[in-house]
Amino acid sequence: MESRAKIEIAGLGVRYGAHSALRAITLDVREGEILAIIGPAHSGKTTLLRCLNRMIDFVPGVRIEGIVRLDGQDVFRMRDPTELRRRVGFVAPLPVGLPMSIYDNVAFAPRMAGLRDKSDLAERVERCLRQSALWDEVKDRLDDLGTKLSGGQQQRLTIARALSHDPEVLCLDEFSIAVDPVTTMRIEDVLKELRPAMTIVLVTNLVQQARRLADRTAFLLEGDLVEVGTNDVIFSRAARDPRTLQYVRGLFG
Amino acid sequence: MNPFAQSPHSRGLRRREGIARAVFLCVTVLLVLPIVAIIGMLLVRGLPAITPEFLFSEPRQGMTAGGIFPALIGTLWLVGVSLAVAAPIGVLAAVYLNEYAREGWFTRIIHLAIVNLAGVPSIVHALFGVGAFVLFLGMGTSILAASLTLSVMTLPVIIASTKEALSAVPMSFREACWSVGASRWQTVRHVVLPNAISGILTGVILQVARAAGETAPILFTGAAFFLPFLPQSVWDQCMALSMHLFVITTQVPNVPPRITYGTALTLLGVVLVVNATSVAFRYYLRRRKRW
Repeated sequence: MESRAKIEIAGLGVRYGAHSALRAITLDVREGEILAIIGPAHSGKTTLLRCLNRMIDFVPGVRIEGIVRLDGQDVFRMRDPTELRRRVGFVAPLPVGLPMSIYDNVAFAPRMAGLRDKSDLAERVERCLRQSALWDEVKDRLDDLGTKLSGGQQQRLTIARALSHDPEVLCLDEFSIAVDPVTTMRIEDVLKELRPAMTIVLVTNLVQQARRLADRTAFLLEGDLVEVGTNDVIFSRAARDPRTLQYVRGLFG
Repeated sequence: MNPFAQSPHSRGLRRREGIARAVFLCVTVLLVLPIVAIIGMLLVRGLPAITPEFLFSEPRQGMTAGGIFPALIGTLWLVGVSLAVAAPIGVLAAVYLNEYAREGWFTRIIHLAIVNLAGVPSIVHALFGVGAFVLFLGMGTSILAASLTLSVMTLPVIIASTKEALSAVPMSFREACWSVGASRWQTVRHVVLPNAISGILTGVILQVARAAGETAPILFTGAAFFLPFLPQSVWDQCMALSMHLFVITTQVPNVPPRITYGTALTLLGVVLVVNATSVAFRYYLRRRKRW
């Protein structure tokens, strides 16, 4: 049975000045799935991800056409992008611990959204740190600086922060490039556990990661969507486009 | 054996390295020498004049005797008022330019204006102050007019140094905040400003020191030649240390060198105290800084 579309992308094109980063992307993200987006460098993966929560707004000189809908609502017409960003969480490639305590790092987004109750906050911080598999390592030093954690811990802290505002969709942009393999596997387990409750869009340049984690995979190449399909199609001879077959086999990219 | 390990050039390389080092050291020492000389001379000749009586009494006998109290208080007034005007405006403008404004012709014109304003000689600021504040706005020669003139002079540098401090906060912090749904203002308020505050204050306080030492901008706008009373409000004129020093060195005959050097040393002391405060503040905030 096919679940409904959480995000519908229709005819999405993005230009930075004269350079066109994405062309006519049409793609659905279904509710509760992990959708992986793969492709070589400069294929537009990150640009696509940044359109989903309008972080693209902060790029100067960008021009966007087409439509992105979240639960049927056009995101580019939303009056308050901060509300959209709370619904669509985002994890950047390099971990960023904000220069405040571990606790404050996770409590930041709920506080900014107006949550003041101390016990609510504490509960939420613990839940998010547990979900991101960091709780056991930091529970005794929540007042320490977030920036003093190791790279892998900071990446899990970043994920905890992204979970702290109860997003319906979680976007991850190459979360494993600054993280060791063991941490990568731990985060992958975290994502698998989140899956039924949360829709996850995962940009990755590790083809095998997409294969392990995703339900479906989209293949981008130089701003075009080459193919999107379930993993058993994309990672087999059944892939429609020969370039997909070549890429997932490591013949280029 | 590796042929590069004992190259015939290595002796020459070492010698040139030594020469380069010596040149840099000499230049640095040359730089420090005049400062040491100035402070040394002022201390030797001026320190004996610095007594509570000198600091806290008014000039007497046509400024050839007595103290400098009105000038000291006048300088504090001028600096205080100009700081109260320039610091908030400068910091808010810099926050707008660095955190909100998009690159465009408008911001480019503002940048150009700031850079050019920072290069305008202080005597030109003084003439502007006379035209704008004293005459056009009808403030007369007053502490307010003089302070506003000083503010106009220090504003561009405050804006530039504040912008510098703000842009030293990594972009990734801002993006992390935005991506969890924080607004621009929340990001500025909770992450950017707390991390830029030590740099901002340093820039502001250094401009205060500069304002304390300037003579030209207050010359026609509010500083009095001789006024042995303390100002009661910003509408009064006042004496100022820098102006007083100028007057007793060039305009009044037979002023004992003791008084001249004492005045110079007091002025330097005020500037150094302000600078030291900025260093101490910076040190305190640095320790709280978290990255």
